[in-house]
Amino acid sequence: MGADEKLDAVRGGAPATRTFATPTSRGTLGKIGSGEFKVLIAVVLVACAVRLFRLGKPNSVVFDEVHFGKFAAKYIRTRYYVDVHPPLAKLLLTLASFVWGFDGSFEFKDIGAVYPPNVPYVPMRFLPAILGVALVPITHLTLREIGCGASTALLGSVLVLFENGLVTQSRHILLDSPLLFFTGLSTLFWVMFCNEDRKPVTKIPDAHTTRASHTITSGPFSRIWWTYLALTGLALGAVVSCKWVGLFTIATVGCSTIKQLWTLLGDTRVSPTLWIRHFFARAVCLILIPLMFYMSMFKIHFAILRNSGDGDAFMSSEFQHTLDGKEMRDTYADVAFNSVVTIRHVNTQGGYLHSHTHNYPGGSKQQQVTLYPHIDSNNDWQIVPMLDPSGTQSPNASLAMEKLTYVTPGSIIRLKHTRTGKHLHSHDVRPPVSEVDFQNEVSGYGFDGFDGDANDNFIVELDEEGGGDDGGRKGNGKGWGGDRESGKRLRTLRTKFKLRHQLSGCYLFSHKVKLPDWAFEQQEVTCNKNAVRMNSLWFIETNSNPLLPADAPKVNYKLPGFFGKWWELQKVMWQTNAGLTSRHAYDSRPWHWPTLRRGINFWVKEHRHIYLIGNPFTWWMSTASIATYAVVRVLLILRQKRGYKDFHHSAVVKYDQMIGFLVMGWGLHYFPFYLMGRQLFLHHYFPALWYAILTLASVFDLVTSTLSPRRRIQIAAVIMALAIWTYAHFSPLAYGNPWTKKHCRDAKWLSTWDFSCNDYLDDVRVSGSAQIPKLTCCYSTLDTS
Amino acid sequence: MSGARRRGIRLPQPDSPGNANSAGSVTPDVALDSGDDDPRSVTRPHPNNSGTPEPEYLHNAACVAITVIAFALRFYKINHPDQVVFDEVHFGKFAAYYILREYYFDVHPPFAKLLLGLAGWFVGFDGHFDFEAIGDSYALHHVPYVGMRAMPAVFGSLTVPIVYQIMKECGFPIVVCTFSAALVCFDNAHIAQTRLILLDAALIFFMALALYSYVRFRKVRYLEFSTQWWGWMCATGVFLACTLGCKMVGLFTFFTVGTAVLVDMWDVLDIRKRYPMDLVMRHFFARALGLIVVPFVVYSSFFWIHFKVLSHSGTGDHFMTPKFQESLSGNELLMKSHEIRYYDTVTFKHKDTKVYLHSHKEQYPLKYPDGRISSQGQQVTGYPHEDLNNQWQIIPTKALPETGRGRVVRHEDAIQLLHISTQSYLLTHDVASPTMPTNQEVTTISKEDMRNRYNETLWNVNIIGGHNGQAWKSKASHFRLVHMPTKVSLWTHAKALPDWAFKQQEVNGNKNSEERTATWFVDDIVIAAEDADLLTREGGPEQKAVKKMNFFRKYAELQILALQHNAGLTASHPYASGPINWPFLLSGISFWTKNDTRQQIYLIGNLVGWWTCVVALSVFVGIIGADLLARRRGVEPIPEFVRNRLWNSTGFFFIGWAFHYFPFFLMSRQLFLHHYLPAHLCSALVAGSVFNFIAGESINYPVSTPGPGMRRMPTARSDVGTKALVAAGLYMIPFIAMFIFMAPLTYGTPGLTGDQVNRRRILSSWTLHFAGKATTS
Repeated sequence: MGADEKLDAVRGGAPATRTFATPTSRGTLGKIGSGEFKVLIAVVLVACAVRLFRLGKPNSVVFDEVHFGKFAAKYIRTRYYVDVHPPLAKLLLTLASFVWGFDGSFEFKDIGAVYPPNVPYVPMRFLPAILGVALVPITHLTLREIGCGASTALLGSVLVLFENGLVTQSRHILLDSPLLFFTGLSTLFWVMFCNEDRKPVTKIPDAHTTRASHTITSGPFSRIWWTYLALTGLALGAVVSCKWVGLFTIATVGCSTIKQLWTLLGDTRVSPTLWIRHFFARAVCLILIPLMFYMSMFKIHFAILRNSGDGDAFMSSEFQHTLDGKEMRDTYADVAFNSVVTIRHVNTQGGYLHSHTHNYPGGSKQQQVTLYPHIDSNNDWQIVPMLDPSGTQSPNASLAMEKLTYVTPGSIIRLKHTRTGKHLHSHDVRPPVSEVDFQNEVSGYGFDGFDGDANDNFIVELDEEGGGDDGGRKGNGKGWGGDRESGKRLRTLRTKFKLRHQLSGCYLFSHKVKLPDWAFEQQEVTCNKNAVRMNSLWFIETNSNPLLPADAPKVNYKLPGFFGKWWELQKVMWQTNAGLTSRHAYDSRPWHWPTLRRGINFWVKEHRHIYLIGNPFTWWMSTASIATYAVVRVLLILRQKRGYKDFHHSAVVKYDQMIGFLVMGWGLHYFPFYLMGRQLFLHHYFPALWYAILTLASVFDLVTSTLSPRRRIQIAAVIMALAIWTYAHFSPLAYGNPWTKKHCRDAKWLSTWDFSCNDYLDDVRVSGSAQIPKLTCCYSTLDTS
Repeated sequence: MSGARRRGIRLPQPDSPGNANSAGSVTPDVALDSGDDDPRSVTRPHPNNSGTPEPEYLHNAACVAITVIAFALRFYKINHPDQVVFDEVHFGKFAAYYILREYYFDVHPPFAKLLLGLAGWFVGFDGHFDFEAIGDSYALHHVPYVGMRAMPAVFGSLTVPIVYQIMKECGFPIVVCTFSAALVCFDNAHIAQTRLILLDAALIFFMALALYSYVRFRKVRYLEFSTQWWGWMCATGVFLACTLGCKMVGLFTFFTVGTAVLVDMWDVLDIRKRYPMDLVMRHFFARALGLIVVPFVVYSSFFWIHFKVLSHSGTGDHFMTPKFQESLSGNELLMKSHEIRYYDTVTFKHKDTKVYLHSHKEQYPLKYPDGRISSQGQQVTGYPHEDLNNQWQIIPTKALPETGRGRVVRHEDAIQLLHISTQSYLLTHDVASPTMPTNQEVTTISKEDMRNRYNETLWNVNIIGGHNGQAWKSKASHFRLVHMPTKVSLWTHAKALPDWAFKQQEVNGNKNSEERTATWFVDDIVIAAEDADLLTREGGPEQKAVKKMNFFRKYAELQILALQHNAGLTASHPYASGPINWPFLLSGISFWTKNDTRQQIYLIGNLVGWWTCVVALSVFVGIIGADLLARRRGVEPIPEFVRNRLWNSTGFFFIGWAFHYFPFFLMSRQLFLHHYLPAHLCSALVAGSVFNFIAGESINYPVSTPGPGMRRMPTARSDVGTKALVAAGLYMIPFIAMFIFMAPLTYGTPGLTGDQVNRRRILSSWTLHFAGKATTS
């Protein structure tokens, strides 16, 4: 834009790196005077009062405490679970509850469920609340570091303090308060780093060595510079370990870094070696450190969740077998005729090929064949060789029952259900749920004295991935997991194979479709003529055969290492996250947020409400300040093109850089939500809101920069008073305080704010007359409506 | 061009006789690109002439030759197959609807389909073939399909010379122009897509024309506000509208040209150009007129024609609002819609799930499996079949006149609903519904109980888009029933209740009273009050005339509907593919197969050509990136004039490619390989430019028509040398060989044996039919 060059000129040849503060300011905490410090302490005390006030009320589960309380309970009971959010914030909540002796027995089942006495929900709420308090001084310091005056910093911190939405969100067991805290912390550290980076290098000779070495005391590569950079990295790691939206904070710092490096690249006085040093310092601290931090959180996560739990079903079989309570004994590797095996489906977590003594209500009315996720003797199948069409065993076949004969690709087998003696069977009947032409029913068929018919015959084919294109028949298959044999014949756990029905050519198939009640909601198994490869793959999990010698080779699951588990969990989280597309009664879209179109109903009980809604005054002012900046910036660009020399003023450059950074932070925390198809909520805007409030404060600083300090503080006081009044006006919704219908209706500034005034009484004093609504009031975020 | 060097409106500059002269030293763009004359008109020797430009006749000959080849390739066996192929199912059907003039609904804008309809009408298609399934025979039904296919084929063939001309107008030599044109001409995917009754041929043709006109417009930029200047700008606008009129993808062409125009305006705004502000504004408004207003008018006119042609009721009726439907002749609404009066007995139908509001004697069970308790009131459900239990009588809540129009139910009236067969009143209350703890139970109460709970039986008729005093009508009024005391809307969803309610659909009260899916309509007036004939009651049948609806309202309604439906096309399709696969040609689409002759049409590009384009794109990005970095460090590796061309000309093609490609990553709807064809055309242009950059860096120069009074620039001729000619010639061998090799899959003939199919499956991700089994020997 040319702004950098101009700035350079202003600074008189200082290295052209990014700056926030004016050239004269020192840019460290040292500039905060004692008076300001006292004010800051006072603000923090007020923040404590505002955020900790009656933290124990309501004494029942509010909104997403349903989930996050539950996750804490699962950590304490070390039961494996799967959630879309990374673990840090939940670990912190768990720590708080653990210290206060929570035993994990409470289920956090429904919104409005009353906490029993042994649940330390107040300490659990205390943690987000105190992090919410900490955001207030962080706001103040960030504004100071970025180059604003003390009154501006005070204004910004007071606006954050009295923001109803932030207050409401931080008072419950939710993840957004830790997220915001770390977002603020990263920004603060990054701004401090930038201030340090812009300082000229000062060196003092090294006293300890005789050689002419120097210690750098300030500026790039000084110790303090490294410290801020590393702290930024750690804080970024913490943000992204709370929620994935922390990536937007990383993007903000990343864009800022790229701009820094680009400016540095254009400075021909910076040698390529120096530039590369700059580059690697940032790469290590801003990429590697956050990544290590993020992964170490998962290390803790896995270390705590040792036991099998309700999250098992999301994970692969290999993963599940790393959990206690899911281990399996070693099983024989070689699969031969006469083996009794359990067969698992590869692509879904539906479980084992299963049959039981219940018949299909429709179709052939033969015995049901399903997928069942738990270990059960009804999962056992015996591999029997094909019989002649006449029903007598061919010589080869009877030989196979007596002499160990491996099952190879192309083998024609039958699967006999050991408990009921029925054969796995398929025929030209449509299956119960997937009634389409290319699907055939699979059933258990047969009776005593009947050896089955040709519809029981299945041909074994190995998957092309490990068995080669021809199903491994020529033996060129690579095999799986380093076992070359598994590419040539059936081996337990390793070989992935398909079963082709000999007569109709369809493949044994299963998919994520559940059968109705009559099959206990187990997963449907069909024979599919158009089968997708992945859904027609099976493997053998356990195998025993009387013909095998006792010392025959055994196998077990190859348990994934930490990286394998970590990567698998990332994929599961991503898929689960992308799957949250159903509508929610209180969801909203990104374009509703800057205008505060609607809030979220957190909790309703006994004529009280907790409804997440922002401070409309602060909210709208912050949006307006961003719009103002955008308009002014466009005008400035156009004016520059027409030859006006606005960017020759150092004040313009300073405020442009300052507000530009904040607006970029706002944009990067806001616009990516437009790309998300999943359900979104008002609280997703909070990180962006924090940047917007900082923008508002900076714009105030800009507008009042020519006024005297006294006049400045007076204007700031008026704005603060307005914000506090609005806060007070809506505070019953934040704390769940009693309210009257009239007050409530008066507070409905927008018709789209859907807190229900009918739930309040006409007069506060008569409250307590019990008429408890029979309806459930609210939904938590993962509920589907 | 040279003849039309007339003086445009050029405001006098205060301090310079001709602005280009003074600006020349500061604006590299002007200095380098402002030649004194059109190269072709130079007959006298020029002092700085480094060579004579390539003769026009050679250019023309090359262009004609490649056009002839393009026609030949696209019309070759166009009558094969004589069956419905792939999306001809849809677009053939739409053409038939135009001929029958029956209203249909589709997500694509109408222009290309109108053209197909026109072609069908011209060749005598009577519209009586329904294009039901892929593989239906045209020959048996006497459909003049060859004529209908000829139109896309002509568009597809003409695209090739346009590509040639774009390159030529940018100053590239014959070899390069031919190279780019050949990349499109010999491309299997372009050919397969453009010789069938599909929209893409027209889309790509108009898109190429839009790019061409913009290039021409850009070339006369020094003759600002001249007739030529206006002409090419308006042509750009019109062709942009045509592109958009074919498919919404045309928006990307808008973005491409829009970006170029913004860059252009940015230069105009530059203070160093010394344009006064009022001239800048004139430039701005001229572009707004030519590139926004003109396209809008043209685009809207397609819809105007669309509505004019489709004046009869057809398959698309039920997508539209009742008001719209009433404007179609022969529409059901028009024939059967009546005003509803108090004491009429009616049936209600839910708009989305098409069930009747139903009630029966059975009651809700006392306790649900999850432990919640019901009111044990009479069940109210949704039932899909006609039944006496679906009948409800409308009871007034106010005094009525004896007769006359005062008895008509109107918008926002409060009513009670009496269930006829059980003589009970519809009600909802603060009890959770059977399956959704968050919604209110809906039940009925007897007349006696009703007296005590009168308020709870009141419902508000909320006609969607209704105004005060609007009469409630059967069929034509979509409405919500909002419960007066609790403000919930009567709602149902496609979830069956358990056996105690005979698997009927749950009806409950939705707390979001504005819920879009809580829409109902009155299906029929079963028993009219006052025993009068419905028609005589309303004053005769004369009101049954087709209603008029303002064009702009129809237009707006259809636009919104198309957008919603476009986003809704997310169901998976076996041949849908992600955008990342496209440039590398990782998967194709099976269009058609015929088992007995082992023939198939498989949409797949020319592998050699497509990969060349990918390489060219990456080379371009590499050059630009390296140049940027080098300049940042004060090194200038590329001479200024070459750099200028790279940014302005190749850059334009590149943003064309980027805009026609990357937005697909943001779409969650089904995507197919043929969505990449416009981007592929742009990448062919980039490939030509990059070829030229590698071969010789020079072009036929100057490109732009000089303005009056501009400094004369030396002409130069491109010098690619014989090496480039040989290189291009050598390249054509594998390129055309690949085309011929894949041709059986493109033309669907001849049939291939298993082995031949296997050999053509060059990438293992291609899913060809009739693949031979691997020999197991």
